[in-house]
Amino acid sequence: MQISLKNYTLRYLIPGILLVMAIWASLFYAYILDEVYDNVDDGLKNQKIEIIREAYGNPELLETKAFGVNQFRIVQVDEKDYSPVNVFRNEFIYMPYDEEDEPYRILKTGFYAKDGKTYSLEIRTSTVEEDDLMLDLATALLVLYIVIVLSIFLINQFVLTKAYRPFRKILQNLQAYRFGGVNNLAKVESNVIEFNQLNTEINQMIQRNEDVFAEQKRFIENASHELQTPLAITINRLDLLMEDEDLPEKHLVQLAETKDAIHRMVNLNKSLLMLSRIENRQFQDVEQISFNDSTREVINDYEDLIAFKQLDLRLECKADFYVSMNPNLAQVLISNLLRNAIKYNHAEGVIAIEITQGEWKIRNSSTGLPLNEKFIFQRFHKQSQDALSNGLGLAIVKSIVDSYPGLSIVYSFENNFHVFSLNFKNS
Amino acid sequence: MKVLIIEDEPALRSTMQDFLLNEHFVVELAEDYYSGLTKITNYAYDCILLDIMLPNGSGMDLLKELRAIGKDDSVIILSAKDSVEDKVMGLELGADDYLAKPFHLAELLARIKSTIRRKNVQFDPMIRYKNVSLNTEDRVVYVSDVPINLNRKEFELMRYFMNRPEKLMQKTTLAEAVWGDHIDQADRLDFIYSQIKNLKKKLKDADALVDIQAVYGVGYKLI
Repeated sequence: MQISLKNYTLRYLIPGILLVMAIWASLFYAYILDEVYDNVDDGLKNQKIEIIREAYGNPELLETKAFGVNQFRIVQVDEKDYSPVNVFRNEFIYMPYDEEDEPYRILKTGFYAKDGKTYSLEIRTSTVEEDDLMLDLATALLVLYIVIVLSIFLINQFVLTKAYRPFRKILQNLQAYRFGGVNNLAKVESNVIEFNQLNTEINQMIQRNEDVFAEQKRFIENASHELQTPLAITINRLDLLMEDEDLPEKHLVQLAETKDAIHRMVNLNKSLLMLSRIENRQFQDVEQISFNDSTREVINDYEDLIAFKQLDLRLECKADFYVSMNPNLAQVLISNLLRNAIKYNHAEGVIAIEITQGEWKIRNSSTGLPLNEKFIFQRFHKQSQDALSNGLGLAIVKSIVDSYPGLSIVYSFENNFHVFSLNFKNS
Repeated sequence: MKVLIIEDEPALRSTMQDFLLNEHFVVELAEDYYSGLTKITNYAYDCILLDIMLPNGSGMDLLKELRAIGKDDSVIILSAKDSVEDKVMGLELGADDYLAKPFHLAELLARIKSTIRRKNVQFDPMIRYKNVSLNTEDRVVYVSDVPINLNRKEFELMRYFMNRPEKLMQKTTLAEAVWGDHIDQADRLDFIYSQIKNLKKKLKDADALVDIQAVYGVGYKLI
């Protein structure tokens, strides 16, 4: 079970305090009782001295055979039963006031009277009602216990809520944090050393990661740039070679194949550059883009190819789909999705683009199986051995989508149709 | 036709030079900012091929200098940075065209020719070969002075062929030039085949004396 840190200590404090209070209560009870008996016993001993002294002067007192108002009795005993030792005991005796048996403390001792005979003296006095005492004590402690627990709970609520405010801010910052994105992390100010440390460490960690990430991105971008010149030279040299009229056809074919392969590299390089540019946020200008219009433009670009593959393209605009984004990226986004729909389609297949409120959806009939939605947006993921795909088209789509908050894309496979739906929530 | 190549990469410079010499251009070379500046201020060129990243300075600055001294030589920017901003900036500074590296030499030639043609009023907008002529302004192709009906893509293909008759045009170059980067390689090669087939048929129906000949696995040739 998960529990807030505020209440976490309560789980241990509640039984803990109970245990401590129980131990303390028993010791306290024993101590108090001891003190009470000590007091009562002292009183009884004092009474004993006074009675014995009185009995010397007034032998009539020796005739007090039963407890009466004096609360003592004197019984003559044999020499052999005589013991001058003070013996205390507790006894329950009926008390008319309470109409029940109440505890009495009784002192029994022996003495020699003036006449030289041995007597046994018993003095009694009402004493503390242990069960009542225990009950009172228990009640008092229970109230104290509840008050303590409640106070701790309330103090926790108020003090910890206040104390944990920076912590919650750190948490919110982390939740809002997007790797490689533009982050405006709220400033955390606290006079709690640990929170300040935590915040500093987290910020440093983020900074380190961002640095590594930025360096990686720079590396890809630089590598792509550096590749362009040698690629250009190679392609142009091959072009020159192929100009040679005397070149045998088999060599010409080989050169053409070489050039095709280099072209694949050029395209890969372009895609990588595109990706790092998107991620480096180099597409700054943002316009209100009508996906309805952009879609029509892109379809126009692909018209011939669609006609060539004899695809049935249906565009259905039920609403206007507007997104504030870079016009080039919007074009790349739509174009990549449409290109896939054309490419992974069978002859005379169907492509349906449907624009509804907040959603732009492209569906295409497919030759194959559903794509693995976990991997399709990953770089260099290829569903099949597709030598002519560089595996970056959907990665580019994904990174465009990710660079605009509110925009999201989902893949699904419905009735042998691949479906990509682009959703936009205005935040 | 005089062309100046301002490019710091020796291999790229010499390939372009060889290619353009073959195409009967007069070629001059500059390898950095200062030598480029000297050439553009002292001589006039029909076309300047300008690299952006140069030792000692930027091609953009050279372009500014050129326009500042009131010269209107055609300029084609060659850039390794295929970025929209560069392209926009270059065109704003008065470049006539922009070509991202790497490019096909045939593409470069087509760009040079059309740039020069656009700039030069006296330049004949007609390209002629055998009984076929192509008007680059009106975008019409004539066979024996009778216009034939070509769609946009077919016209672009024809223009590429007419620029360099009897020379091999590679399939990839044609595809890229006419359809841009939109189309994946596998698709566009089939696609270009069908487009060429249509074009051939139209030429034949109009009794053109030219034909498009396939060079197996590599490309096509206008003969």
